[in-house]
Amino acid sequence: MAVETPNRASEESASLSGVLTDPGWNGRAEYEVAADEALRRRPTLTVRNRLMLMLSLFFLLSLAVTIWSIHTLSTVRDSILFLEVADDYTSEIQQARRYEKNYLLYDTNLTDALQHASAAQRLARDNDGKIRKVMGTQAVAAMHQHLDEYHSLMVRIGDTKTPGTRADLEAQIRYHGNEAGEFAKRFVTTERAKVEARLSLAQRVLFASIGGVLLLTVLVANFFARRITSTLRRFAEHTNRIGHGDFTPIMPMRKYRDEFTLLAVAINRMVQELDRRHQILIESHKLRALGTLVAGVAHELNNPLNNMMLTAAILKEQYDELSDEDKLEMVDDLIGQTERSRKIVRNLLDFARESETKLEALDLAEIVDETAHLLGNQLKVKKVKLSVVVPQGVPPVHGDQQLLNEVLMNLIINALHVVAEGGEIKIVVDPEREDGFVALDVIDNGPGIPNHIIGRIFDPFFTTKPKGTGTGLGLSVARGIVQKLGGSLTVASSPGHGATFSILLPVTGIPSDISSRT
Amino acid sequence: MQSALRILVVDDEVIACKRLKLSLSSNEYTVECVPGGAEAVQRLESESFDIVVTDICMDQVDGIAVLDAVSRLHPQSKTIVITGYASVEVAREALAKGAFDFIAKPFQPKDLRVIIDKAAKEIRRVRPKDRADGSSGN
Repeated sequence: MAVETPNRASEESASLSGVLTDPGWNGRAEYEVAADEALRRRPTLTVRNRLMLMLSLFFLLSLAVTIWSIHTLSTVRDSILFLEVADDYTSEIQQARRYEKNYLLYDTNLTDALQHASAAQRLARDNDGKIRKVMGTQAVAAMHQHLDEYHSLMVRIGDTKTPGTRADLEAQIRYHGNEAGEFAKRFVTTERAKVEARLSLAQRVLFASIGGVLLLTVLVANFFARRITSTLRRFAEHTNRIGHGDFTPIMPMRKYRDEFTLLAVAINRMVQELDRRHQILIESHKLRALGTLVAGVAHELNNPLNNMMLTAAILKEQYDELSDEDKLEMVDDLIGQTERSRKIVRNLLDFARESETKLEALDLAEIVDETAHLLGNQLKVKKVKLSVVVPQGVPPVHGDQQLLNEVLMNLIINALHVVAEGGEIKIVVDPEREDGFVALDVIDNGPGIPNHIIGRIFDPFFTTKPKGTGTGLGLSVARGIVQKLGGSLTVASSPGHGATFSILLPVTGIPSDISSRT
Repeated sequence: MQSALRILVVDDEVIACKRLKLSLSSNEYTVECVPGGAEAVQRLESESFDIVVTDICMDQVDGIAVLDAVSRLHPQSKTIVITGYASVEVAREALAKGAFDFIAKPFQPKDLRVIIDKAAKEIRRVRPKDRADGSSGN
């Protein structure tokens, strides 16, 4: 019987988990598939792509700043060159005015003044466009006019000898010369201010971009560190959870798929496989418990069988000598012992039966009785005394009879393993301990549980029994069942003083459940 | 003709006790039944039986304790143990403690009778010798 067809095995684990996990095996599988899909359905944005994107942005920003700086430098260079033109122009005007003064005072150097004025005119004309840009069209037009006037007036004054006309011309020359000189001054000042403004702007932009790059670097580094470390932490928490037997799959927490998605999918697949194996092991644990039970039951079955065998054999051997009354008594005994055997077998089948979880109102006293009866032989073989304390009027609890039998069976078998021969196991039902719950304690007088392992005894696969004798699933299964029924299973123990396992089960809230019970 | 041998049957199953008494009683054997180990030890302390047939698995005082009492009080008596299941270890333990033979449940009366006859033969083979050496023995 050790080798089963895969089909049968999967059917078994399917029905078993149907009992243990609410949505059932199929529901669980669907949940896992849903998790897988949810993880994969998100749009992809890998850490690598994110990094590329960030670095590209970074590069573009630096490029923009650099191009702008290069442009600024070239305009500053142009302005400086242009400033030289402005200086040349200004000095030409000043020279012209100096010679003009000499001419007016001493009547010399008119040719020199005219030469310089022409040079200034030439410079102004050659750079007309650029000057317009700096000073505006109107101002430049006015400047040309003044220069032209200045030049033509000086030509005219050279030819004029009349003192009255000369004085008039002189005044006009001074006026136009002055205007041209003022213009040159303004021109130089404006251009210089422009260069200075541009240089200081370039300085500020560069400082700002250093700050910006620094800030961005910190942000990006922080972002990636957080994203990666927080995800890693999440995975670490997850594996811890898996270690404690929680096999719910990882669900997506972020908007995008990335490299971690593959890891999550792989872990989910692993968890699924673990879960499946866990279910199979739970099944094997149940079979082991059943094996323990069967040994006792087989022994118990021997008594009625022996009675029947002896009675039937004697009935046959001494048929003629026996009185009718004796024969009838023997036949009655045969019937009675057959009935006794049937009951034993039925109890065993009830325990082994696999079925859907059926929640109903249950009498704890009945469950304790049934389980105690099933384990009667084990207790007898080890000479362990089992005492049961159930007060009157315990309210019915909410649960599944078969599952609660299994829980109690696991707890009593555990206690049976740790108590010495002739030890004692106590079962105490207490409806008063917590509102809305009934407490059931399984108390043994064994050696107790050492402090360093008490936190782990409900973990799946944790066992103190020698290798190969315990599956380490009994308590984990028991806790799983009780929690599923809305209760709790806890332990209190101190070394040398035995252990107390306490089950809290919710009291049934709907009285109609009791009446509908069959 | 030898006198009938005395048999003590110890079993906490009342029906088995009753049937064994009925089926084993004959000219050769007188049978007495007790429903438990404690009662058996009590009886053994006051009287001796040639053959003791005891169930192994009983509440409180079990078959092994009865076997111990027999070897202590009446070492010449033969003890036949009834084992609940055909367990080699229990049978071996009983034999090591001096049981004559064992029989596994469920059995037919005639199977037990074969073993009892064998034990009786052994007793009868030894006893005349015991009587002959009576003056020097004990």
